[in-house]
Amino acid sequence: MLKSIIILIILSLCIGTGAWLIFIWTVRRGDFDDVEGPKYRMLDDDEDDSSSSTNKPGDKE
Amino acid sequence: MPQDTCIHCHLSIPPQDLIVDEIEGKQLHFCCHGCQGAYRIITGAGLGNFYQRRTWNENGVPSGTFETDFDDSVLAEHVIHESDDSAEIPLLIEGIRCASCVWLLEKLIGREVGVADVRINYGSHRARIRFNPRQTSPANLLTQVSRLGYRPHPFTAGAAQQAAVREQRTLLIRFGTAAFLSMQLMGFSFALYGGYFHGIDSKIRMIIQYFAAAVTFPVVFYSGWPFLAGGWRSLKNRAPSMDLLISLGVLTAFIFSLYALQSGGEVYFDTAAMIVTLILLGRLFEGAARNRSVSGIDRLLQLAPDSANLIIDGETRTVSSASLVPEDIILVRPGERIPVDGIIAGGETELDEATVTGEPMPVLRKVGEAVAAGTLNLTSSIQLSVLRVSAESFIARMARMVEEAQNRKAPIQSLADRVATIFVPAVILVATATWFCWTFLLNATPSAALLNAVAVLVVACPCALGLATPTAVLVATGNAASRGILFRGGDILEMTGRVDTIAFDKTGTLTLGKPTVAEIIPARGKDENDVLDLACRAEAGSSHPIAVSIKARAEQAGLHPAETGSVTTIPGSGLKMSTDCGEVLVGSRVFLTANGLDIPSTESGTLTEVHVSLDNDWIGTLLIHDPVREEAQQAVTDLHHLGLQTVLLTGDRRETAKEVCARLNITDFHAETSPADKADWINRQKQDGKMTMMVGDGINDAPALSCANVGCAMAGGTDIALETSDLVLTKPHLGRLHEAIFIARKTLQVIKQNLFWAFAYNFVTLPLAASGQLAPVWAAVAMATSSVLVVGNSLRLGRVIRRTFPIANQSPVD
Repeated sequence: MLKSIIILIILSLCIGTGAWLIFIWTVRRGDFDDVEGPKYRMLDDDEDDSSSSTNKPGDKE
Repeated sequence: MPQDTCIHCHLSIPPQDLIVDEIEGKQLHFCCHGCQGAYRIITGAGLGNFYQRRTWNENGVPSGTFETDFDDSVLAEHVIHESDDSAEIPLLIEGIRCASCVWLLEKLIGREVGVADVRINYGSHRARIRFNPRQTSPANLLTQVSRLGYRPHPFTAGAAQQAAVREQRTLLIRFGTAAFLSMQLMGFSFALYGGYFHGIDSKIRMIIQYFAAAVTFPVVFYSGWPFLAGGWRSLKNRAPSMDLLISLGVLTAFIFSLYALQSGGEVYFDTAAMIVTLILLGRLFEGAARNRSVSGIDRLLQLAPDSANLIIDGETRTVSSASLVPEDIILVRPGERIPVDGIIAGGETELDEATVTGEPMPVLRKVGEAVAAGTLNLTSSIQLSVLRVSAESFIARMARMVEEAQNRKAPIQSLADRVATIFVPAVILVATATWFCWTFLLNATPSAALLNAVAVLVVACPCALGLATPTAVLVATGNAASRGILFRGGDILEMTGRVDTIAFDKTGTLTLGKPTVAEIIPARGKDENDVLDLACRAEAGSSHPIAVSIKARAEQAGLHPAETGSVTTIPGSGLKMSTDCGEVLVGSRVFLTANGLDIPSTESGTLTEVHVSLDNDWIGTLLIHDPVREEAQQAVTDLHHLGLQTVLLTGDRRETAKEVCARLNITDFHAETSPADKADWINRQKQDGKMTMMVGDGINDAPALSCANVGCAMAGGTDIALETSDLVLTKPHLGRLHEAIFIARKTLQVIKQNLFWAFAYNFVTLPLAASGQLAPVWAAVAMATSSVLVVGNSLRLGRVIRRTFPIANQSPVD
């Protein structure tokens, strides 16, 4: 009983720490600097796929 | 799309410039080869969707911008080398109007050979291009960007800006850490709460308590470090502040819990962690709101280029703008922006001065005339004699003003600090007294006495206090912004709520600022077209609003007169033109009478008179009318309903001012005032203890706007007016003014309610805690409840605003 509680707590702390490290990494990378752009970018990529698939031959000179 | 507008830039095409091109079997019309080229590049790359996607809502780069050469040696200092085949260049891209511009640039530049990654920040228009220096050069990348019609500036953030970005990131990490650990802690706390009520194995309890202590430690000493440092500073300066109260609460809760851990009592680690987390959240909100309002201004300031072409002994060298000293001669090519304030020493050109004057028409500048940094050279190369070092240029002075504005704190926030100076010592006193009483008068055990003293400190903790202002400000500025009302920070919101007098500028604010010819009164034997023709010929070269109105009327009448003689402008009076058929005078009554003319009196009322004469014969009079905004009367009435005084400050004639005041019911007016007079008047009002808001749009209002308690500018005004103002209405509609004041007053009310609640809660619970009726665990629950209430009250503000002014409603009535 006691042992399993300790193991579970430590496990949860490890998982949490993993998430925390990823969070710090993204902040350092500047992913939170532009909170306005992503909502447009998400739509952009959608349309780009459909348009580039129709125009593929002319893409590269 | 009408055939006379360019398919690429949507500008109308002058007939002589029309270019017809056949692309993909369609006949397309262009206004210039630049647009044609850009269209071919875009469609050729399979990105023709751009034309369907774009929605333009911001002015871009003016037409007539030319391609510029970029030089690798100049760009080199901006390039950040990461390894042999990876480098990065930060850019600021001018001319981005909407999300599809970002999309287009990212796609096209991303396809260049050697480019690894392109990221453009949608909000700040800053770009980072990561590329392989072996395969491409920075100059090539910049040329690609400018081929699309955008203007790239190599951009390295100043030390202060970098520090601000770092600080915001550190804050985010502190908050993220605190939030993550607090969540873990909550899990432990729930187990302990359960144990408190239903019993728990003492061994398990102790283990959980140890874990709780371990996760709380970084929250208090890493995340809470800014508070601890601030508290220590305030202790050293003997000036109690909120930080001191926060650190005191956090530290007591933490240290007492450590003690309880040893002695087997209840622990309050969650209280300590929650205080830190919630207050950090409040600071994060505040910082985000401030950064948002500053980034737009920042962009404007980056307009003056970093490098200039210095001419020494007939040779040009590229140097940094900062190294220029007065009397240096520099070369500015067409398509470049002017790097420093200067005087034209050679050549003449047309300049786009929209950044400084707001006038979208190009202005002709000749030798000896002064030009400001940041304006755009459109037509030909000029030599410029430097007037001021770049740090003193007009645009740099504005930068400093912005920086000052950035450092301002909401005054109501300082109210919280002021209260803290009394509150903090009082709390410490009460806690000490509690311990003293319980130990010596009531003979309690030392641990029970300490427990009660701790309850006092925990209960006094200012969690709700920290959230009271930022949450309300955040909700209000967000709701206001979606209505086209931009408050530059919490202090402005508060000031606006306290305003009791509103001063209006006339032209462009109460009126549309677009004069039209209302009536033409020809002399006997002449007809309207004679008058119009002469006036128009004299005014042909002028961009004065009145000249524009005359030219527009002439075009309507089907006249296309060109300038046919040499014109002399007498500023503020009129024009003199000598032609082969005689001397033409166009101007005010005073001007023509001074030249020996006899003019019959006219019934002009509020209209502006422009008289025309040919060889000492009066030909006729044009009456110019600048219509009052439709909504002005309703807006003024609404403002009066809110109990505000209204005043008109104008440089115009007395009669005109009086007439406008009477029509709109404006309380008072001051006519024939200079820009300095306006500022003086506002300063006098300030001395009388009044809170004045100035509403204006012109460059002549700038001093008054910055003097006033709140300076309000409407979009469509000059950039200067927009930048010197605290409150911007992005839609030129006076009804927004009423909304702005309503929102500000409501916000102030909500902040006061929040502060009242936060303090009242403390005053009620303090005696309870001191008398030993409130175990610290209940104190912590009560504290969380009070935070939730404060946040809820702030959110209610958003509902009140939305209900009072539904977004679709254009002219709200109360």
